[in-house]
Amino acid sequence: MARLELIDLSKRYGEHAAVAGVTLDVADGEFLVLLGPSGCGKTTTLRMIAGLVEPSDGRTQIGGTDVTYLPPWRRNTGMVFQSYALFPHMTVAENVAFGLEMRKLAKAEIEVRAREALRLVRLEAFAGRLPRQLSGGQQQRVALARALAIRPDVLLLDEPLSNLDAKLREEVRIEIRELQGQLGLTTIMVTHDQEEALTVADRLVVMAEGEIRQIGSQRDLYERPADRFVAGFVGRSTFLDGRVTGPGEFETAGGLQLKCRDGAPGAAALVLRPERLHLGGANMDNRVPGKVEFVSYLGPVLELHVRLSPADRVLVQLPNRGDAAPAVGDEIELTWHRDAGMVFAE
Amino acid sequence: MIARQRTHLTAAGLVGPATLYVGIGILLPLAILFRYSLNQFVPGKFMVDALTVENYVKFFTDIYYYSVLTRTVRIALITTLICLVTGFPLAYVLARTRSRHKNLLIMLVVLPLFVGNAVRAAGWMVAFGNKGVINASLMGIGALSQPLEIMFTEAAVIVGITAVNLPFMVLTLQSVIEGIDRSVEEAAFNLGATPPQMARRILLPLAMPGVLAGTILTFILSMNAYATPVLLGGPRFQMMGPLVYNQFIQQNNWPFGGAIAFILMAATLLLTLAANLMVQQRYRTAET
Repeated sequence: MARLELIDLSKRYGEHAAVAGVTLDVADGEFLVLLGPSGCGKTTTLRMIAGLVEPSDGRTQIGGTDVTYLPPWRRNTGMVFQSYALFPHMTVAENVAFGLEMRKLAKAEIEVRAREALRLVRLEAFAGRLPRQLSGGQQQRVALARALAIRPDVLLLDEPLSNLDAKLREEVRIEIRELQGQLGLTTIMVTHDQEEALTVADRLVVMAEGEIRQIGSQRDLYERPADRFVAGFVGRSTFLDGRVTGPGEFETAGGLQLKCRDGAPGAAALVLRPERLHLGGANMDNRVPGKVEFVSYLGPVLELHVRLSPADRVLVQLPNRGDAAPAVGDEIELTWHRDAGMVFAE
Repeated sequence: MIARQRTHLTAAGLVGPATLYVGIGILLPLAILFRYSLNQFVPGKFMVDALTVENYVKFFTDIYYYSVLTRTVRIALITTLICLVTGFPLAYVLARTRSRHKNLLIMLVVLPLFVGNAVRAAGWMVAFGNKGVINASLMGIGALSQPLEIMFTEAAVIVGITAVNLPFMVLTLQSVIEGIDRSVEEAAFNLGATPPQMARRILLPLAMPGVLAGTILTFILSMNAYATPVLLGGPRFQMMGPLVYNQFIQQNNWPFGGAIAFILMAATLLLTLAANLMVQQRYRTAET
């Protein structure tokens, strides 16, 4: 449990910068999620914190101590690997005890702490099993218990849920979050799954091309994305190309005149979240007729693709209230607030 | 039913040719050879039909023959150990490298196998002789006044056999190490294991099937080495392989040659089995 600071941390492989100057300050006990598409440098960043990758530049501090050039075995980080990386020739109990043995603790204490870690993940009954005799979810929890047993300064989770099926993922996600809160562990999790990120994080960091694009809460990222990339990566949205013609005025490539948030004049993209578009609402800044081209029924919501002009088509999500839904070919009127339209300069 | 019959036929078709070959080409001659080893050798009449163990008794009671067996086992153990100790790090590097030239590196390991044993031993003769490369160089720089006796010594034979067997060990280990998830090693480091601790507790136990396979392979090759001991060991240096050959071809003593061949085979098998059991007791990996 400690504060973690990354100061201008970089990793270059030849000409290619996998991580280009990442600066982060993670508070004691905070749950931070690194979010980004594959190849954005999030896993490399995590591995640099663990000491498995040596940075080309910058510093890493854990609890105020510079650990930049310490080998992994002399840092006190607990990592859960994407593949779990359990020791296949050791039992569950031996796996969990391994880190404690390396710390040269007394036998009796090792036993107590290993059992306690297994109790945290509710696997005491499986202590004598070998990893291959466990299900994926159980293996995942052994990996977590093994990392928790050493009482790490920082818990590092590398896509910990990506090998679980959807239902289990949701359960384990909540379990990890609860354990983390209960133990007050400083935690960094890497994921490309936004939903996963949104449910567990205190703070999110969106990365792309080795750089941090935005740091903030779930709400910040969704409602005030810092740039076009974040707007596209976090949540779903429609991008309409065009230009800002005046304060709060946007003209699409298809010639539609729309009201939006303020933006710098010139070529830009207008970004619309699908659930902010309505059917025939009152007191809206924008009213645009359109034709339904595609409908998908998703249960709680309906998704429509609506053609507004030959060049402009938008995605709309309507709550499923049980009334007659628009069908393909219907002529409808879409309405939305100017605040729903975010503009990003090209 | 028809489908099942067809799979049986396919299986027979796949296993058949090799089985037939092993049966006729190897097991049958071995059986005949074993029968010969129970015959009597009478000078002037060569082989006489009999049912006696005197050839085996002769081997174990004559200190000369017995010492050939112990020497062979000793050299096989030493060369296998050297192959294991030097081959493991090399195999590890080959298995873990992300270099573009990985295939080239593997080719370099295999390259010595392109040269036959006899040709290679001839090469070592050039290096080891009294006026060979090693002695000439050492005396040239004044490190020696007298040439080192390397040729026709046990050391020369050990160097020669090790050179032949090392690629087999490296390739066997490399393929097994490649199958070990790299993140398992990283997990050990993350949990506080230093590289030697990781190697002892994680890497070695997980690589044990490869260590066993490689050790058995090189041990069998060493026990049965022929060209290297003949060429580098010289006429007075005997190992089991050349001994068998001598009895058959030079002494024309087929019964005794057969007995020696079977003793060599039995010794190799027994030692291999013993090593296998010992390792299985220490590590639990074999149960996978």
